[in-house]
Amino acid sequence: MRLFILCIVFLLLSAQECLSQLERQRVADNEPVELTFMAPRNINLFTVEPLSRGELHYSIMHTFGEVDSGVRNLWGIDQGANVRFSFEYGFTEGLSLGFGRSSMDKIYDIHARWSVIRQKDSSIPVSITFAPSVGLTTGSFGFLEEDYTFSDRMSYSAALPVARKFSSDLSMQIVPMLTYFSRTGPELNISDPEVNTYFSVGLSGRYKFSPRSAFTFQFIPPITNAENLGWNIGTGIDIETGGHVFQMFFTTSRALNEAYLVSAENGSFFDGEFRFGFNVNRLFRVR
Amino acid sequence: MKLFQIFFGAIILSILNPFVARAQSFTADDGYVEFISRAPLLEFKGTSNHLAGLIDLDQNLVDFFVDLNTLDTGIQRRNRDMRNTYLKTDRFPFAEFTGKLITPFDPNVNDKQDVRVSGLFSIHGVEREIEVEGTLEPGNGTLRLEAGFSVLLEDYNIDRPRVLFYELADEQIINLTILLRLSEPS
Repeated sequence: MRLFILCIVFLLLSAQECLSQLERQRVADNEPVELTFMAPRNINLFTVEPLSRGELHYSIMHTFGEVDSGVRNLWGIDQGANVRFSFEYGFTEGLSLGFGRSSMDKIYDIHARWSVIRQKDSSIPVSITFAPSVGLTTGSFGFLEEDYTFSDRMSYSAALPVARKFSSDLSMQIVPMLTYFSRTGPELNISDPEVNTYFSVGLSGRYKFSPRSAFTFQFIPPITNAENLGWNIGTGIDIETGGHVFQMFFTTSRALNEAYLVSAENGSFFDGEFRFGFNVNRLFRVR
Repeated sequence: MKLFQIFFGAIILSILNPFVARAQSFTADDGYVEFISRAPLLEFKGTSNHLAGLIDLDQNLVDFFVDLNTLDTGIQRRNRDMRNTYLKTDRFPFAEFTGKLITPFDPNVNDKQDVRVSGLFSIHGVEREIEVEGTLEPGNGTLRLEAGFSVLLEDYNIDRPRVLFYELADEQIINLTILLRLSEPS
């Protein structure tokens, strides 16, 4: 009897040891949150989504005329396209440099994106990226009494996206933005030719409604005391197709780069003064 | 007092038990696993050197898992897409197999021997019964396992791009190699 009890107790104590599988342990925990957004821009605003070292991101962005221009103009497609192309290269896991050109006011710009903080599930609630840019307008202003000098043509911007991926589907970010134009005037496509410095705090986000598709939005309120500024409102859809990210949207502004997103005139979204736009994003591995 | 002696004896036996029970238990956590995707326009593979495995010949237990976050396809963006969009590794971090040998294997014969295992393979939160063929080769306190099988992403509810591009094949070919070492009693 004693032996029987001994065996039972022994078996109970040892059963778990004998039949146990390997303990499932992750190799690395608390890694930075990934794919807060599908691309380096959400509609028009910079995002916190970094490039990895050796990645080259190419995008081509468009906005067209206002959709209320009617079917004769194919709801704005025939009118006033602003086209921007850009390249951005990841030099490290957190730092990328880019170059772009927007047709509106013929602006060439260079920009950087530096991931200051990356969201981590259990310790860091948000990602923060610093994105300064410098623009040079190459428009012809010879008709003016005083032509633009090189320094007159410069504009300087900075954006600081602060984003949180709340779930695999929902991401939001606020984007403080500041822009300074060295010289302004009615010849530039900005809302108020008397104002050189523009500031705003944009809000944008995305909600994935399928594994590779998301609703997107952006609001850039007219905080600067400037004439004709208005709300920049945009809403659209992102589609990730395995190699490309297509972003289609309606927005109240022609603007596609930082300086003009906070300074260019906006139509009234609810009066139909918005326009169609789309971005095509492609990522290449260079090294 | 007798009861105390019984429990004391049982505890001593339990402490000694791993030396016996794990005499034929082989483990490793540095195995190699790869998946190969052969789509019409693109072939690529993802690899990991963090395959963990256990073969317990006494218990006839075969247990493997890999942290899917360690898979590297050579392109960071593709890795991020794979983790976040397809495999959803935040919710399902591991690919796992637990089963048993269903063909004879003699650990005393130092030759590569064909084996077949049957068990449950789990990925993306879906578990399916599969059989895998491979070879086991005993060495000096080691077992080398090489095996290969294929999985259909559709069987595991893993979505893939269909709208414009077909860069990810539905059938993924899995190959693994791992050198298991006789486990030290814990």
